[in-house]
Order: sequence, then structure tokens, then C-alpha cells
Amino acid sequence: MTPTPPNLPPEDPVRNHSFDGIQEYDKRLPNWWLMTLYVSIIFWVGYWAYYEWLHVGPSNSQRVEAALSQIEATKLANAPAVDDPNLWKMSRNPVFVEAGKATFVSNCVPCHLASMRGKSELATAIGPDLTDTKWIHGGKPTEIYDTITKGVLVKGMPTWGPVLGAKKITEVSAYILSKHNEGEPIELDPTALATAPPPVK
Amino acid sequence: MATPAHSPLPNRDSVTTIRTDGSRPFMFPADTHGRFTTARRVVAYGLIAFYLSLPWIKLNGYPAVFLDIAERRFHLFGLTFAFQDMWLLFFVITGLGFSLFFITSLFGRVWCGWACPQTVYLEHVFRRIEVWIEGDAVARRTLDAAPWTAGKIRKRVLKHAVYLAVAAVLTHGFLAYFVSVPEVWSMVRSAPSEHWSTFVFMMAYTGLTYFIFCWFREQVCIVICPYGRIQSALTDDNTVTIGYDAKRGEPRGKAGTEGVGDCIACNRCIHVCPTGIDIRQGLQLECVGCTACIDACDDVMDRLKRPRGLIRYDSQNKFNGRATRWIRPRTILYFALLLAGASVASWAVSTIRPANFLVTHMTGAPYIIDATVVRNQYFVRIVNKRNGPSRFVLKLQGTPAGVQQSGFVSAVEVPPLGEITTPLILQQRRADYTGPFHLTVRVEDERGTFHLERAVDFLGPEARLLREDEAEQKKADHEHGKEK
Repeated sequence: MTPTPPNLPPEDPVRNHSFDGIQEYDKRLPNWWLMTLYVSIIFWVGYWAYYEWLHVGPSNSQRVEAALSQIEATKLANAPAVDDPNLWKMSRNPVFVEAGKATFVSNCVPCHLASMRGKSELATAIGPDLTDTKWIHGGKPTEIYDTITKGVLVKGMPTWGPVLGAKKITEVSAYILSKHNEGEPIELDPTALATAPPPVK
Repeated sequence: MATPAHSPLPNRDSVTTIRTDGSRPFMFPADTHGRFTTARRVVAYGLIAFYLSLPWIKLNGYPAVFLDIAERRFHLFGLTFAFQDMWLLFFVITGLGFSLFFITSLFGRVWCGWACPQTVYLEHVFRRIEVWIEGDAVARRTLDAAPWTAGKIRKRVLKHAVYLAVAAVLTHGFLAYFVSVPEVWSMVRSAPSEHWSTFVFMMAYTGLTYFIFCWFREQVCIVICPYGRIQSALTDDNTVTIGYDAKRGEPRGKAGTEGVGDCIACNRCIHVCPTGIDIRQGLQLECVGCTACIDACDDVMDRLKRPRGLIRYDSQNKFNGRATRWIRPRTILYFALLLAGASVASWAVSTIRPANFLVTHMTGAPYIIDATVVRNQYFVRIVNKRNGPSRFVLKLQGTPAGVQQSGFVSAVEVPPLGEITTPLILQQRRADYTGPFHLTVRVEDERGTFHLERAVDFLGPEARLLREDEAEQKKADHEHGKEK
């Protein structure tokens, strides 16, 4: 036999529906449970007023913008000013040059070779010589910086901007410039100018 | 607070801990002593020691459990997982879920009564503190109903202070899972202003722990816990649960009365129940399988010199005089699911390598053709999931003739838990070019402990077009030469 029948409760209200003969008691929810509902409603009113009605809190788009400008500000603060005199100055600073060399070795050597001499050293090399005074896409420090940042897609020079970031590109530019002297002649390859990227400001 | 714990008796049509007006009668379950209580306490203290010590035990240089959210690395018993391995969690969790199904179909809510942190901390830590400060069930009920006197205030302040302290200790032990022990220690010693978010989280979590074990208690198991909700779908008449032997016990009556069963209607089983049910009405949703009623009833049977086990672990079939069937479709199915979950989980964990790598084409032109070669340029990105630096070598497989590699020709070192992106350039001589092809890029640990492979496409024009282009170029060059 099954255990004792349950103690019958005092007449409890029953919901007025029945499914397959099964009926449902209409009991009160626990007060603490109802409390969570009421607290949520109160919270909702406050939340709605804060964000949607009184606009005390920032909207989502405002928060995104604030975060983006924060990132932008940090980037600007960390990136040294990129102009010709600055890049020349960095190219004489061993800290920048060493950092640039490390980046060069891990990223640029496959095409420009460890000596930076590219096709001048090895005819089958992919990249051009970066130590001579002939330049294809401009030989001024900022032009070198731009070429690295934007790349020359038709020739296979990748867009390094998103890969390396401004700081590393500045260092690599300094490393390349360390093989050059300010004021040396710049011979431009006239056939290549058409593919040069527009200078960034 | 009046607590009609035994009058009227609990019934199956309403929850003892919810009154008809929705308010909650507080439970004052009596203490039990006996073999199950002792065994359960040993298990509970063992579990608490185990869980609290996990962040202190070092395996392979990291705590046994260290879920490093900040670094996105998860150290589990000597294995290190990265965020990329998160998919494993699906199999681990389903595996655990099916284990629970299987155990439940055999033994009901043993997990709840013996191992669940809610029960372990409530019955073996917080309830013990309450008994130590406020006394036994009768004393606690009396104190609760008593007016606020200096003595009551003193006891209550002491109890809640100890509760808060214990909750804080548990919370810090929990935090150590996520930030490691030394970090917890350094945070504890520094000002809250140095790590507001963690501090607020800790306060909130301590508060929640305190609230749950101080007041909320069995409501978690009865109303909130999803496992409690589905257990009635997992058990059947062959499941061994805690039950009352009605055949032996009924009809109830005073010892020595003619024609009555073994149950003397002392209601000890109700007094000790932490969820306030009467187990003699059969297994109910509220029962967390805590065994308190078994020990209570055995104690009474011992005193009456009657055999133990009027309330015991047994199946409904056994109570009704039939045999328990252990092997049945339900247990076979759950076991098969458990086995499937466990094997997929172990297989998946075994596929985890201490590194990850990807080969992608560089942005820009998919391929480049110059005077002598067809060129494809890739970035190889390697993520080292090891705690130490690793060196990797790259090998190409399935490359046709005339393919030259530059970039990644010698071993590349990746710092511990770091990642690097390095260029890989493949060129094929025009003369050897016969169209696009597939190759396999294989990255090996320099020590040869493991390797990873990726299929990569070498893109290019159709060979026919390249030849046409060459012919045209030659013609143009020829004409150009003539013009000059």
C-alpha cells in the first residue's frame, strides 16, 4: 500500500479550469517572491526615469562615443608626432632604432631582407632596396611612414597600419631612416608615382 | 513568529514554509545524531576543505582552479584553456548534467543531501553556529518568539556577526578562484578605493551569501533550484530515495497498543526536517534527501528495541513488497547519455593543443603577379597558451614544384600566453604555375611535442589567362622596342 493519504487541507480555493480531470489550487505566492516583482517594478520606474525620461544617464550611443574618443585620446597621447624633423630625430635615437629593428626583423625581412637591401642584394627578393637613395613612393620621412601605414596594395606591400599600429610604424620608419642622412638626395622613380598613396595629414 | 510546525501536520497540498497569507514560517529543525548525520558531516567538511584549498594547490605552476578572467586563461587541474576553448564547456556541462540524471534515476536527490554547497554550508556551518549560540530547536523557537531583551539582542548580534564573518571568508575563498590567492591577499590589504568594482562585488556577494544562509535557506531548494524542479521527472518507483515503510509502520499507535504498526506517531521525523515535510506522506518535491528523518526514526526505534529502517533509503517498489529493478530503460538511457557526454568531453579536451594558429591572406590584392612569379602573401598568427615561451617552426605540405617560401623560415618564439603575427610569403615561378592550388601549413612546436595544421589556398589566375597575358606582354614589348 502507498503511504497514508495526505492530511486534507482546509477548503482551498481551486482555479476554475480542469485539464484531464486535474485541477489546480489557487494558492498565494510567497510574499518574498511577490516582493521581487514589486522591487523590479520600482527599479524599472527609476531606471526608465534616469535613462529615458529625464535623460540623466548617458544613452548607449553617447557612451560608445565617449569610449571611442577615450581610445582616440590615448592613441594620440601615445603616438609621437609624425613629421619630418621628428622622424629624423628618432632615427638618431638608439631606443627607437632598436625597437624599429625588432619589428623590421619579424615583419619586413621576408621581402626587404635583413640587410634592408632587397632587390639590390638578391634579384629574386620581393621588396626594393631601402638603403639607397632611389625611392619609388617618396623618400621623405613622412612619405615613408605613409607608405608603411597604407601599403602599396597592387605591388604587395601590405597595409601595416592596422597590423602594427602607429607607434611601431614610427619606430620602423626611424630604423629605415637610420640608414640614411638628412639632406641626402632623393631620386624618385617616375614610373611608380601613379601608384603612390596620397599623403596622409 | 508562531510556527505551527506540527499542528496541523504538514500536508502534501501545500508547502509548509509558505502560509496561506504568503508569509513564511521560519523552520527550527531539531538536531539529529546518528550514522547518517555523522557520515554527512564528514563528507561536508571534506568538501569544504577541498573547495577552499583548490586555489592554494599548485599544479604546473598555476593553482588547481584559477579562472583568470582578466587574462582570459582558465587553469583547471594543471591544464590551461584559452577563451578559444570555451566550446568544450558545452560538453563538460552536458556530461555533468547527464551524470546528475543518471545518479538521480538511481538514488534520487543524493547530490542535494550530501554534496550541494547550499546544504553543506547551511547544515554543517551556519546551522551549527546557530545551535552553538542560540541552543537547540526548542530554545531557538522560544528565543524567536520572545520579546527583545538584552539577552536576545546579545545572542542575535553575535549570531549575525559570526554569519557575516563566515560569509566574508567563503566569498574570499570564492574570489580566489578568479584572481588567485596572492591577488586576494594584496586586495585585502589595500584600500577599497584601489579596486572599487571588486570591492563592491565582494560586499554584494558577501551580503548575498549571508542573506541566503541566514534567512532564505530552504527556499532556494524548494522554490528556486531548477534541479529540484526536474527531479520528479527523473525518478520512478525503482529509484532509491528516502521513504517510510508504511506496511510496517501503519496504523500508527502508542507502543504496546494492540494491532498497531511500528510508527508511534512521535513526529520526530517532522521535527528534524529542514524543509518541514512529513516523509510518511511519501516522497515530496521539498525533500532534499538530507537523511535527518532516518537518523531521527532509527533513534526512536533503537529506544523501543525495534529494528531500524522504518524510514530508510529504499525504492517505492521495495516499500510495496516488490524488488527494485536497477537496470531499466531510464537508467540505460541516462547512462548512455552520460557515456556519450563523457567520451565527447574527454575527446574534446584531448584535442586541445597548447597553441592556436591561423593563416589569413594579407589585406589587399589576393595575389600579385610580377615579371617572374605569382605571389601570395599571408599573415600567420600564433597564440601561445603555455605559461612559458614556445618556439614554433613552420612547414609546408603539398606544395607543387617551384614554390618558394620567404618569411617564417626559421623558428619563431612566442612569449608566454602571448600571440604574434608574422608574414609568410609564397611565390611560384611563372613557368611552374598551373593555376591555384591548396596546401597545408603545419606549425610544429620546436621540441616536437605537438603540431597544428591548416588548409590554405594559394590563389592566382587560371594558368591559361596567365599565358595569354605573357604572350600579349611579349608582343607589346616587341612593338614598344620597335617604337624606340
